[in-house]
Amino acid sequence: MTTNLQTEPVPPAPAAPPALEVRGLVKHYPGVKALDGVDLVVRQNEVLGLAGENGAGKSTLLKALVGLVRPDAGEIWVRGERVRLRSVVDAANHGIGMVFQEQSLVPNLTAAENIVLGSEGPGVRTGIYRWSTMRRLAQEQLDKIGSHIDPLARTDSLSFADRQMVEIAKVLRIEERTSHPPVIILDEPTSVLESQEIETLFTQVRRLREFASVVFVSHRLDEVLDVCDRVAVLRGGRSVGEVSADAEPADLHRMMIGSTGSDDHYHEGVAVRSDEPRRPRLEVRGLCGPSFRDVDLDVHAGEIVGIVGVHGSGREDLCRALFGAEPTTAGEVVLDGARLDLSGTRAACAAGIGYVPAERKTEGMVGPMSVADNMTLTKQAARCTGPIVRPGKQATLVDTWIERLRIRTPHRGTAIQRLSGGNQQKVVLARWLVAGDVRLLLLDHPTRGLDIGARSEVYRLMRELAATGVATVLLADSLEEAIGMSDRIVVMSDGRATAQIAAPAGAKPTPLDLVKEMV
Amino acid sequence: MSTPVLAQPAPDTPVVARPTVGRRLTSFMPLIALVVLLAALTVVDPGFFTLSSLTAAVRTAAPLVVLAAGATVVVLCGGIDLSIAALCSLATVLFALWLPDLGAVTLAAVVAATALIGLLQGVAHVLLRIPSFIVTLGGMSIYAAIALVVSDAGPIPLSDRDATHWLTLYLAGVLPMAFVVALLVVGVVSLVLGLTPLGSWVRAIGYSESAARLAGSPVDLVKVGAFTLSGACAGLAAVMLVSRNFSGSPTMADNLLLPAVAAIVVGGTAITGGHGSVWRSLAGALVVTLLRVGLPIVGVPSAYEQILYGAIIVAAVALTLDRSKLLVIK
Amino acid sequence: MTSPAEADTEVVPPARRPRPRRGVSLRDAGPPIALVVLFGVFAALSPGFRTVSNVQNVLDAAAVLAVVACGISFVLMTGSIDLSAPGIMGASAITVALLVANNRNDNDLGLVGIVVAVGLAAALGCLSGLALVLLKVPSFMATLGVSAVGLGVATLLFAGVQPNVTDPLLEGWAVERFAGLAHLTWIALACVLVAWAVQRYTRLGRYAFAIGGAEEVLALSGVRVAPYKVAVFTLAGAFYGLAGVMVTSQLGAGLVQAGKGYDFAAITAAVVGGTLLTGGRGGILHSTVGVLLVTVLTNGLVQVGVSPYWQGGVQGLIVVAAVAAAVIPQRRRNQVTK
Repeated sequence: MTTNLQTEPVPPAPAAPPALEVRGLVKHYPGVKALDGVDLVVRQNEVLGLAGENGAGKSTLLKALVGLVRPDAGEIWVRGERVRLRSVVDAANHGIGMVFQEQSLVPNLTAAENIVLGSEGPGVRTGIYRWSTMRRLAQEQLDKIGSHIDPLARTDSLSFADRQMVEIAKVLRIEERTSHPPVIILDEPTSVLESQEIETLFTQVRRLREFASVVFVSHRLDEVLDVCDRVAVLRGGRSVGEVSADAEPADLHRMMIGSTGSDDHYHEGVAVRSDEPRRPRLEVRGLCGPSFRDVDLDVHAGEIVGIVGVHGSGREDLCRALFGAEPTTAGEVVLDGARLDLSGTRAACAAGIGYVPAERKTEGMVGPMSVADNMTLTKQAARCTGPIVRPGKQATLVDTWIERLRIRTPHRGTAIQRLSGGNQQKVVLARWLVAGDVRLLLLDHPTRGLDIGARSEVYRLMRELAATGVATVLLADSLEEAIGMSDRIVVMSDGRATAQIAAPAGAKPTPLDLVKEMV
Repeated sequence: MSTPVLAQPAPDTPVVARPTVGRRLTSFMPLIALVVLLAALTVVDPGFFTLSSLTAAVRTAAPLVVLAAGATVVVLCGGIDLSIAALCSLATVLFALWLPDLGAVTLAAVVAATALIGLLQGVAHVLLRIPSFIVTLGGMSIYAAIALVVSDAGPIPLSDRDATHWLTLYLAGVLPMAFVVALLVVGVVSLVLGLTPLGSWVRAIGYSESAARLAGSPVDLVKVGAFTLSGACAGLAAVMLVSRNFSGSPTMADNLLLPAVAAIVVGGTAITGGHGSVWRSLAGALVVTLLRVGLPIVGVPSAYEQILYGAIIVAAVALTLDRSKLLVIK
Repeated sequence: MTSPAEADTEVVPPARRPRPRRGVSLRDAGPPIALVVLFGVFAALSPGFRTVSNVQNVLDAAAVLAVVACGISFVLMTGSIDLSAPGIMGASAITVALLVANNRNDNDLGLVGIVVAVGLAAALGCLSGLALVLLKVPSFMATLGVSAVGLGVATLLFAGVQPNVTDPLLEGWAVERFAGLAHLTWIALACVLVAWAVQRYTRLGRYAFAIGGAEEVLALSGVRVAPYKVAVFTLAGAFYGLAGVMVTSQLGAGLVQAGKGYDFAAITAAVVGGTLLTGGRGGILHSTVGVLLVTVLTNGLVQVGVSPYWQGGVQGLIVVAAVAAAVIPQRRRNQVTK
């Protein structure tokens, strides 16, 4: 494992202490070490970019900075003074504020109320609103960023970009709580903006730098390099270095993904398939749904097809629609020559389709129920004689699968929520396998939140299943995973399947090949 | 793998959801409460622990047990049925009205009618996606209105008291037949839930409806079934009430709603769904009944009954509910 | 160029651009239109309905329900539900009957008695709120419990003998008229205005609205939500208490059953007026229109010869229909409904 350190030489010790400094921050979550000793320095009046892949620890770090997450170890210093941040209010009192990715505005209040929410000051006297004062206070904030929104407009009547302005105006209120320049964190501010709106936002960010420090988080590396003075990179919960603003996006990307031999743990080539032409197991023709249109897709038996796409590409909805969990408006789906009934999940189960949802804890498993009951929840017939459940039959079946999938559980009767994430996921997978009739598996981020070892086991399982002839649709957690696991990759963009890229063992495309198709 | 291995240690530490103290306590709460109540009442009034007064107590409890048993399945699915008492009142009226014409099949007809009404409620809840408490609250006032209209707002005496006579008999001279029927209902429902996939489905729906649906469980059917059962039980409870009062009346069972809800939650069934069982509600119903007959014995005016119901409902719900599921309590 | 890492999907669903709403939505305009239409239909059908005295009757009949609806609207705004009106009204009805001049005791506290009764009701409402925020009991259960407690308190105070009110002030409320309407109706109107002002001009009212809109955002902004929730239930309790006093004035006696059915009627009125049970939408004026709708419907049906016993049934049907109509546009395939 090479760490591509491209650290800039630290400038001569500045006279003023950094606006914000993080030293050795550690945060454990069950099964995952989200932060593993992160160091970060935000200087005064600079725009610092923060980059990292999904799961690199960005969001946990940001939450720790605004008091939403308490770190297990490590220190946070504000202007040379060590602080403990217990809440958003605490953070605000130290001059740290964040514009949240999912906008944190109350939709049914006015913009003015949202801007002053929680610190109305003279806007409210003895519980009574002074609407004119409120309006003035809000206008002052909006003026700071040069926005022309009507402060008394209802927030849900504003455009997304305007709402973002309201958020920034709201965050700037923390200036009143501290005599120092504030630190403003912008989490993925551009993810749903159009280019013109992005330009406006960047103007705002540059303006903010005049009187504040800004931490800017975005997935779009070109933007990060465009607007930031320097970019710090996180990987696997650690700081792995930083680049200056004149670096190339490719350099930044290399630092983000590291150069770990990503191929070895995908068990490439375990599956053996004949290449003779035959009818695909799954044929999707012109399928339309809530966020996808005219999708055509073929999946052969024994094939793993990865679907990749940016946020909002519609791939999740497509996956759920194939399982009958989202409505479709047009098109048809044929499984092994028979037209598929998409009216509900039961019909899909009966047709031999299995689905592993992305949200394991809330949608994948029934936490308080036992491993055995979770495993046999779908294929009830496998544990019954007629309508009667046979505990002995269930025990034999479940124990067999616990052994075959090497599920680590004290007992089949243990509540599934007491298992580790990887073992939970294996039980969820086993649910579709116990009856031996699964023909198509839809895997929606099957390795989300799992550590490397557990991921590897899930990959092994997927390969083994493919080898037995199961067709698999995979929505991977990262492009590397999609490339490593898939035989073929379908790119979705804006609700349409826009490209197909073959990815056979030994001739894998690179992430950049896919990205070209995705935009 | 010959012996099961413990879940692997960190960094993949499992989230250990140990039963809370409250959960442990509540798993035996109904039985403990029952025994403590019996003991306390016997200490205060040694004459209480006699066959005749115990027989009278379980006889009173029978309709409550049946009402609570049916509604428990709805609660296990994560819903609530607030219409049971009003539906039961309506059923007493229907029974008294239909008896002259239908004779021996009146019981079956009334239970079928209330089951059908329950089914309609379930369908409205599932298809229109209206929260169950609103559907059943609406149902409650609709049934009360129908009962008032068809009975002309007055009691209707039974034309033939023999029709329900069998319910007033005693099995082996000591067990009231009504209570035997109630036990049968609890037993049959428990067995069906325990021996068929229905039990798994009901619990899965109650704990996590979306997970159950994505596992292909027949969520809608099971929920409609639960409301149907709840309706049928309300009908059966109505016949028990009629057998005791020799008449049907449009408000006869209205004051059974709170005791029935109290029986369910005192039994330890979580209002959030999933956790609980029907036999618990049997114990809960007996506790509630003992409280009611016991209050005067220990010298508390029966006016405190309502306050007690209110307090134990809030306390029992607080003890049993699954907080992990309720991030924002509304 | 875009980073490959962008392929990562976030946990949040794709944010769809909301279209700005212009003009008055159907949900806001619908109930008043329905009120006018309903009024017109009944006026056409029944000569008895369109008399001035009947219109006065309708307004007088709406008075108590309007006050209850004021209280429940605040609770519904926060996204909670309140079933405690019958119990709280019963407790306050008996309390006030025993505190003003009556045939049971020598009390003659007059206005003070009314204030005490309203205070007791507010305390009961506060109990619901505390059970909600401290014990985390869902509001429909907590308020069902508090309703039982209120009825119990009422039964205790009632003690088997009905207290008949002889207090001239309280008796006068129901009988004396000003500008053609009973004093009670004017009191109800004052309540609506006060409640509207609370909703519009106080932090409590605006926060109640915001709690229904996005409770977690308030917490993120450093607002402690719990005290406001308790305050909302307390305020609702006070309104129910006043409604209980008004019923006592109408009946001339304190009854345990003073509030029977008002919880459901008020929820019906609020929902029909355009308040969402999920919170954050609607308000006092919406509910008041809903109250008039429900009252006109009730009165009109009686005028055209439908049995008054159907009253509750009609309410039950319209509440289910109104909730369904509000829910259907937002239905999703995999939605969880409890």
